[in-house]
Amino acid sequence: MFTSIKQKLRKIVFLEHKPESGEVFLSQRRVFTLPSKPGLVFVVLLLLMFLGATNYSLNLGFGLTYVLGGVAMINVFYAFRNLAYLHLLPGPAKAVFAGEETEFTVHLINRRTHPRYAISVGFADKGHPEKFVDIAADSRVAVQLSYPTTTRGLQAIPRIRLQTSYPLGLLRAWSTWLADSHALVYPQPETNAPPIPMSGQGKKTEVPGHAGDEDFAGVRAYQAGDSMKHLAWKQIAKVDTLLGGQLVTKQFSGGSGSDVMLDFSALPGSMDTELKLSRMTSWVLEADQRDLMFGFRLGHITYPPANGPEHCNSCLRALALYDR
Amino acid sequence: MKTPLFRTILSRDKSDTLLLIFACAFVLLPHADHVAWWVNACCALLLTWRGWLTLSGRRLPPAKLLLPIAFLMMACVYLTYRTFLGREAGVTMLVLLLTCKLLEMHAKRDLFVVVFLGFFILLTSFFYQQTILAAILTLTGLCLLLTAQLSFHYTGVVPPLKQRLKFGATILALAIPLTVIAFVLFPRIQGPLWGLPGDAQSARSGLSSSMSPGNISELAQSEEIAFRVKFSQEIPAKPLLYWRGIVMDKFDGRNWSHEDRRSLYKKEQTPSWISYTGQPIVQEITLEANGQNWLFALDMPAGKTEIEASTETSAVTNLQMETRREQNTYERIKYKIKSYPNYQLEANSSREMQTQALQLPADYNPRTAAFAASLRQQYRDDVQLITAVLNHFRREAYSYTLEPPLLGKNSADEFLFDTKAGFCEHYASAFVLLMRAANIPARVVAGYQGGELNSVDGFLEIRQSAAHAWAEVWLEGKGWLRVDPTAAVAPERVQQSLNYAVQRQGLAGLMNLSPAGVSFFNQIRMQWSAANNSWNQWVLNYNQSRQISLLNSLGFQRIDWTQISLLFFGIASLVLGLMALPLMRNQPHVTALDKVYFSFCRKMEKKTAARALHEGPADYLERLRTSLPATEFENAERFLKLYASARYGKDPGPESTLIRRLKTLLAACR
Repeated sequence: MFTSIKQKLRKIVFLEHKPESGEVFLSQRRVFTLPSKPGLVFVVLLLLMFLGATNYSLNLGFGLTYVLGGVAMINVFYAFRNLAYLHLLPGPAKAVFAGEETEFTVHLINRRTHPRYAISVGFADKGHPEKFVDIAADSRVAVQLSYPTTTRGLQAIPRIRLQTSYPLGLLRAWSTWLADSHALVYPQPETNAPPIPMSGQGKKTEVPGHAGDEDFAGVRAYQAGDSMKHLAWKQIAKVDTLLGGQLVTKQFSGGSGSDVMLDFSALPGSMDTELKLSRMTSWVLEADQRDLMFGFRLGHITYPPANGPEHCNSCLRALALYDR
Repeated sequence: MKTPLFRTILSRDKSDTLLLIFACAFVLLPHADHVAWWVNACCALLLTWRGWLTLSGRRLPPAKLLLPIAFLMMACVYLTYRTFLGREAGVTMLVLLLTCKLLEMHAKRDLFVVVFLGFFILLTSFFYQQTILAAILTLTGLCLLLTAQLSFHYTGVVPPLKQRLKFGATILALAIPLTVIAFVLFPRIQGPLWGLPGDAQSARSGLSSSMSPGNISELAQSEEIAFRVKFSQEIPAKPLLYWRGIVMDKFDGRNWSHEDRRSLYKKEQTPSWISYTGQPIVQEITLEANGQNWLFALDMPAGKTEIEASTETSAVTNLQMETRREQNTYERIKYKIKSYPNYQLEANSSREMQTQALQLPADYNPRTAAFAASLRQQYRDDVQLITAVLNHFRREAYSYTLEPPLLGKNSADEFLFDTKAGFCEHYASAFVLLMRAANIPARVVAGYQGGELNSVDGFLEIRQSAAHAWAEVWLEGKGWLRVDPTAAVAPERVQQSLNYAVQRQGLAGLMNLSPAGVSFFNQIRMQWSAANNSWNQWVLNYNQSRQISLLNSLGFQRIDWTQISLLFFGIASLVLGLMALPLMRNQPHVTALDKVYFSFCRKMEKKTAARALHEGPADYLERLRTSLPATEFENAERFLKLYASARYGKDPGPESTLIRRLKTLLAACR
C-alpha cells in the first residue's frame, strides 16, 4: 500500500504519467532538484558555522557562512541549468530475441550556448547501469541504453531518468521521461530444434509444387564431387574461406521437389504455444541462414515462399506479436 | 635529462587530487602562525607524503598505519594543551584531522568530508584575524576549495584548470550579492550562546592598571591602533589631547598601581566633586579590544558614556575621573563621551582628604626625599615648587629616550641623580614622588597623548605608541591640576606627534630617511588605515543593535526578528530571481553569417520595411525592390544574393571570406 501511495505521489508531484511520443523538451516544470546527501550535511555544516560565528561574535564568520549559503543557491541554478531545456529524441530500439538485451538509443539535443557536463542517463528503476554524457554547446549526443528482455512481444521502453549533480554535488537535479517507444522482442529460438520439415516430412496441405531438377531448394555445405556448376557463388562471395568459411552447393529438390512451408498449425496441438513459437523461430532463422525459399503460416498470416532478410523479419515479427 | 614526471601530462585523477591537496594546504596556511611547531611539522610532512603518493601513483596508507599516527598526534595535542576542549586545542585537532583525512580518501564521500572540514577551518581562522587581508585570503582559499570540489564532478570531458578556476570564481562572485544581503538583513542573535572556553580571549596589548619603569616604553614600540576618535567639531589643539585613562595613586617603592575603590563609583549625572566651564568636546571613540575595562576620553570626561550596541546601560566615571565599563573589552566597541577642557576637580576638598595622594613607602629613594625637603625649604609656595622641579628637569641634562637604562631598588633616586634618562613614566613617577615628599598631593595618570589625523577619513588615530603617563597635583582651592613633566624635557613630545621621539621600526624607519618618501609612504599608510577603519566600522562592528538601528533609519519602526526575516527572504528571493534570469535565459545560437544578415535587416527596417518573420532573403528582396530607390536597391540586391548563396548555395566557399565580403556590402548600403 505504501508503495502505491508513493507511486501516486510521484505521479502528482513529479508528473510521471503518460508515455510521450516524439521529441520532448525538458521544460522548467519537468526538472526537479533536491539536496543530495552531501548537500544535507552541508546544511548542517552551515548551521554549525552560524552558531560558531554567533557564539564568538565573528562577523567574518557570518560572512563566510553566508557566502557558502549563497554558493549553494548558485549551485542550484547551475545544476538546474545543466539539465533543463534539453531536448530528448527517442531513437530506434533494437529488435532482439527474448532473454537478450535490447538497445534503446536516446538522442540528447542541447540547443543552448552553454555546454552540459556529467549528465547521467539510465532507466529509472533500480539496478540498471547509468551512462554519463557531456554535451557540448549546440550539439547532440546519442546514448545507447540496454535493457534486458524476458518475454516476446512489444516491450515498452521503461521510464528513463536523467540526473546530474554537477557542479558541486550538493544537489541532485533530475527529470524522467517515458518515451512512447517499444522494442520488438522475438520469441527465444529453441535450442536443438528438430530439422526443418522439408516436403514429405511435414504435413502437406497444399498441392505439391512442380518437381524438377531445376527447382532450387536451398544450399548446403560443399561436398567433394559436387559439380562446379552447382556451387552457390552468391553465398560463397559472402564467406571468407581463410576464416574457416565453407563452400556451399546449391541444393535442388529431387523429383518430388517441393517448397518448405513453416506452418504453425502443423505442429502437434499438444505442444505449448510458446514452445511452438520458439521452434518456428529457430526454423525461420535456420531457413534464413541456409537461404531457403520458405513459406510461412501463423494463424491468419500466410506469407508465400520467399527468402531474404525482409521476409525473415516479417516472419519473426509475426511470431513475436502472435496473440499479443 | 628531465624526469618523465614533469613531461607527461598528469592523469585526471592525479591533477584533481593535487588541486585538492593544494587547496587544503592554502586553507591551513593562516593557522601555521599560531599552532604549535610540531603541528606545522606534522602537517607539512603529511601533505608532502600525500603529494608524493599521488604523483607516484601509489596506494594510500592502510588504516593500521594511519590509526597509530592519528592517535599519536592526539596524544601530542593533549600533552601540549592538557585538554581537548577549548579553542586552541580544538583548532589544532581540526587542522590535524584535515591532513589525516587527506590520507584516507577512498570514496566520493571522503571528498566532501575534506572540503567541508576545509570550510570549517576557514571559519576558525577568524578567531585570530578578521582583517581585510584575512578576508581576501579566505575568499581565495574558498575559490580553490570550490574548484577542487567541482573538479571531482566531471565525468567525461574536463575543461582545463584555468577554466575551472574561472568557474569556481564565478560561482563565488555570484554568491557575493546574496552574502551582502544576508550579512545586513539576516537576523542576528547576540552571542555568546554558551560559555566561551577559558582561552577564547588571547592576550592583547594595551595600558595596564599598574605601571613599573619600562612598561609604557615597551608599549610605545607598538604601531597598533589603540582607538580612533571622530569629533563632531574641530579637533582640539595637540597640547590638549590628553586621553585620560587610569589614575594610579598607590606606590609600593617600585610599581605604581591603581587602587580599586568601588565605593567611589557613582552613577550620578553630574557629580558634586567636579564643575565644568566652557564648551564640551563630543567624541565618538572606537576602542580596539584590549582585554581591560578602561575607557579613554579627553581630560576631563563628563556625564554619561553611551556604549553603542551593548547591553550595558552606560559606563561610569568615579571620583578620580576614571571611566570604566562593567565588562572587559574583548571586542571592538564604540562609545560617545563628552569632555570639558576647563574643569575644577575636588577644588573644595581639603588636604586631609587627600592622604592617599601623599602616601610614600618609607625606605625607598632617600635622595629624592632629601631633594624634595631642600626644595620645600627654598619654596614655601606649592606652585613655585612645582615650577622649580619642572625647571630642574629642563635645565639639567635630562634626556628623553625609549631605551632607558635599567634601574635598581631606588629607581627614582637613580633616575633623578645618576642616569637622567628615561621615558614618560620615569618623569611622571619621579615628579609625583618629589611632590609627595614635599607634601603636595600628587598622582600618576596613565593614558594616551596626541594622535594622528587620518586625512582620508577624518578620524584621529591613537596608536599604542602614543601611550603616555603624566602627573596630577592637588592644590588648595584649585583642585587637581595636570602637570606633564615630560613636556618640560621633551616639549616636542607633546607639541608634535610622538614620531619625533620614536624612530619608526622596520620598513617605516627606513622610509623615514627621505622626505619625499615620508609623504608618499604616509599617504599610503593613511589610505590603508582609513580602509581598515571603514572595515571595522561597517563590517566588523555590525551587530544586532546596529542592524535594528539601520532598519529604523530606513523607516522600519519597531521591527522584530520575524519581520527582519521576512524582509530578508523577500529581498533575497527577489535578487535570486533577478540573477536567475540571465542564467536561465536561452540565448539562441546565431552564426556569424546570420549576425551580418540580421544587422542588414535592422538597417533596412530603419529605412523602409521590416522583414517579416516568414520571409526568406529572396522574398524580402522582391519587397525591397518596390520600396527602395534604385541605387540603394542595387547594394541590397548584391548583399541578399550573396547571403542567399552563402547560406543555401552549394559549396559557397570559405565562410570567413564570405563574411568579409558581406560586411563590406553591408557598409555600402547606407
